[in-house]
Amino acid sequence: MIIRKIEIENYLCYYDTNTFELSEGLNIILGENGEGKTKFFEAVDWLFTGENRELDMLVSAKKLDETEIGDSFRIRVSMSVEQYNEKSIITKSFLAKKEKANECSTSSFMIEGIEENNSGERNQVDGSVLLDRIFPFQIRKYSMFKGEAELNIFESDSALANLINLFSEAKHYDKYSEKGAFLKEKAEKAVEDSSKLDKKNEALYKKIEGEIFFLKNEKNKYQIHLNSTDEEIRKIEGNLQLAESHVSNADALETLNKRIKKIEERISNQNCSIDENYTTCLFDENWILVNFEPFHKEFAEKVTAHSKRQRELQSDFDKQKGIKEGEKKAKAELLNNAVPLPIGIPSKAHMEEMLNDEICKVCNREAKKGSAPYEFMMKRLKYYLESQVVEEDEQEKDELLFKFDYTNRLENLSISHEDNLKNLRLIRTKIKELFEFNDDRKKDIEELNEQLDKEKAERERILGNSSIVEEKLIDVLKNYNAWQRDLKIRNQEQVDYDAKLKNIETELRVRREEKDKIDTSSANSFLIKTRNILRDIETVFKDTKEKKFDEFIEKLQTKSNNFFKKINIDAFTGTIVFTRRNKINRIIVEVELQEDGRTFYKPNQSLLTSMHISILFAISELASEIKEENFPMIFDAPTSSFGENKTAQFLNLIFETENQKILLIKDFLHTDKTTKNLSIKNEFETVRRNRAFWAKLERPFDPNNLKTINTQVITL
Amino acid sequence: MSRKDEILKSFLNHELLETKYELKKTDLPSTVREALNSDNPIIKAIALIVEGLNGNIPVTDSVLRNQVTQFLNEAL
Repeated sequence: MIIRKIEIENYLCYYDTNTFELSEGLNIILGENGEGKTKFFEAVDWLFTGENRELDMLVSAKKLDETEIGDSFRIRVSMSVEQYNEKSIITKSFLAKKEKANECSTSSFMIEGIEENNSGERNQVDGSVLLDRIFPFQIRKYSMFKGEAELNIFESDSALANLINLFSEAKHYDKYSEKGAFLKEKAEKAVEDSSKLDKKNEALYKKIEGEIFFLKNEKNKYQIHLNSTDEEIRKIEGNLQLAESHVSNADALETLNKRIKKIEERISNQNCSIDENYTTCLFDENWILVNFEPFHKEFAEKVTAHSKRQRELQSDFDKQKGIKEGEKKAKAELLNNAVPLPIGIPSKAHMEEMLNDEICKVCNREAKKGSAPYEFMMKRLKYYLESQVVEEDEQEKDELLFKFDYTNRLENLSISHEDNLKNLRLIRTKIKELFEFNDDRKKDIEELNEQLDKEKAERERILGNSSIVEEKLIDVLKNYNAWQRDLKIRNQEQVDYDAKLKNIETELRVRREEKDKIDTSSANSFLIKTRNILRDIETVFKDTKEKKFDEFIEKLQTKSNNFFKKINIDAFTGTIVFTRRNKINRIIVEVELQEDGRTFYKPNQSLLTSMHISILFAISELASEIKEENFPMIFDAPTSSFGENKTAQFLNLIFETENQKILLIKDFLHTDKTTKNLSIKNEFETVRRNRAFWAKLERPFDPNNLKTINTQVITL
Repeated sequence: MSRKDEILKSFLNHELLETKYELKKTDLPSTVREALNSDNPIIKAIALIVEGLNGNIPVTDSVLRNQVTQFLNEAL
C-alpha cells in the first residue's frame, strides 16, 4: 500500500487546501517547531482514528475569521492510496458554520471511501471499512509514531501478544497448550479417583498428595523469589553500568574531597593554635613585666639600703636601750659591733642544715662542732628560736623602735621579686617564641591555602568533565558501592534459590513417581495409559508453542539486527537481543542491546532510537511478508536526539529501505539572526530522499493570534 | 497445506514421538484426515484435538475431552 497524496483543508494551521504528493520511497517534511509538522501528523492520525467530537477545535482560525457569519466551510483530510494497482480515496470531513465571531458549529461529519478499479471506474464505499481493509488498524499501530518515546513499542507488556497475534503462527498454538493442560488434568483426576477406590493405600496416597501439594506451593514460592531476584540483578547491573561511566570521576572526586577536607581541617587547627590575644598576655602572662628587671634592681638596692639603715637604727636603739640583756650583748659581741643580720636570716632550715653539715654555707667554710663558727651558728639559731616565743608581758613592757616591720616586708618583696626574676627574664623569650609560632602558623596556613586552591581547581576540572552535578556524582559513588554489595548478595540468593528449586523438583519427581507406582497398582490400567498419553500430548503442545514463539522472536531479532546494522549511526558493534521472560501468568519480551554478550543497559538516546526504528522496520517487513505487501511508516520527529549530521546519515541509510516512509523533521532549517528569515541549509542537498516538502508558516504572522496562522506546503 | 495440517505437522515433528513412541518421520501422516485414520493412539489423539480446535466445527471442552478419552480408552 502506498499513500500517493494527502490533502489537508482548513484543518488548524492548514488554511484552505494543502496537498502533499508523496513518493513511494522516502518523503521528508521539513518544518520549524510550531509551523505545522505535528499538525500534519495529527491530521493523518485524525483521518485514521478521529471521532465525531470536539470538531470545532480542529477548525482553521484564519478560515473562520475570513468566513461571514452564517456561512459554512468544510474541514477535510483526505488520503489517496494505491494498493494492488487499484486506487482508493479515504476522506474524513465535517462542516463548520460560523455562528458569531470566533465561534462555529459543526455538522455533517463523515468518512467517505472511493474505490477506483484498473479501468478507472469509481465506486463509493464505506470509508471506515475501506480504511481497515487497505490499512488494517493492527498494522497502523506499528506504522505511526510521534516523537522518540513512542518508538519503544516494547514498553507495553501487551506489545508481544499484539505482535504475535498479527504476525506469528505462535498465536494458533496458544489454545493447544491450554487444552492439552486441561485434558491432562482431567486424566490425572480420573486416575486419582480410581486409585482412591483402593483403600489399601489410602493413607499413603493421601500423604503423598499432601506432600506434592506442599512441594508445588514451595516451588511456586521459590520461583517467584527467583524471578524477582533475577529482575533485581538486572536492575542493579543496569545501575552499575550507568554509574560506571561516572565512577572513575566519582572515585577521583571522593579522593579529592577527602584531601580538601583534611586540608581545611588542618587550616582550622592552625588557626585555632594561633594565639594573638596579646592584651590578655600582657597582664595574665605578666608580659607587662618584660622590662621590670632594671626597676627591680633599683628597688632591691633601695630596699637593701633601707634595710641596712633600719638595722643600723635598730642596732643603735638596742645599744642605747641597754646591754642588760645578755643575749643582746652577746649579739653585739658576736657581731663585733657589726650591724647584725635580721633575725631568721639565714632561715631556721638553712641554719639547721649548716649545723648538721658542720659547714657555714654563708662564708663557705668549715664549722666543726665545737668550733667558733659552729657555736656562732648555734647561738644564732637559738636566738632565732627564742625570738619566736612571745612573752606578752615582756613585749608589752618593751618599747619598740619600729612598731611595724615594713622593712621586713619590703625585703621579702624584694626577695620574692628576685626569685621571680628568672621567670620574668623568660617572658622575652616567650613573647618571641609566641610571635614566631604565630608567624610560622600563618605561613603554614598560607601554604595550606595554596594547596587547597590547587585541590579545588582539580575538583572543578573533574566536575567540569562530568555530565552530572557534584552531589549526584557523590551519590553515584555511594550507590555504586552499595549496588556492588547488593549485587553480590543477590547473586548468592540466585544461586541459593536455584539450588532450592532443583531440590524441590527432585523431591517432587520422587513423590510423583511414588504416586504413579500406587496408581499403577491401584487404578484402572486404561485410565493410566490414557493419562500417560495425555501427559505426552501436553508436553508436545507446550513445547511446540514455545518453539513457534521462539522462532518468531528469532525472526524479529534477525530482521531488527539487519536494519540495525544498516542504520546504526553510532557505529555500535553490538546486537539487539530479544529475551523471553516468564512473568507470573504471562510471557513478556524484553529488548536489550548487547555487546560481546554483555547487556548494554543504558545506551544513549540516538542509539536507542536507531534500535527502536530498526525493530519497527523489522515489524514492517514482517507485516509485508505476512500480508504480502508494504505499508507506509510515518514518523514525527523520530530523530530529535540525533543532531543534524546523524540525522543526515540516518536519512541516507533509511532511504535504501523498501517501505514508503514519511518523516517529519525540524533539521536543515536556518533562521537568519537579523532578518529572522528561514531558509533551507545547503547540507539538505546531500540528503538522499525521494521527495521533500517544507511546511512553513506564511509570513508575517502573529504567534499570539491564530487568525494569522497559515501553514504553506512547499514542494522542494 | 491447510492451517490445521500445518499445526498437526508441527506437533508430530516433536522429538518425543520419535524417541518415546518410535515413530519415524517418514511414516507420519501429513494431513489431519490421514492422522484420524491412524492406528497409532497418540497420532490419532493429537489429530482429534486439532480437528476439534481447528476443524470446520469447533467443539466445546467437554466434547473434546469425551472424544479424546473415549477414543483412548477404546484404543489402549
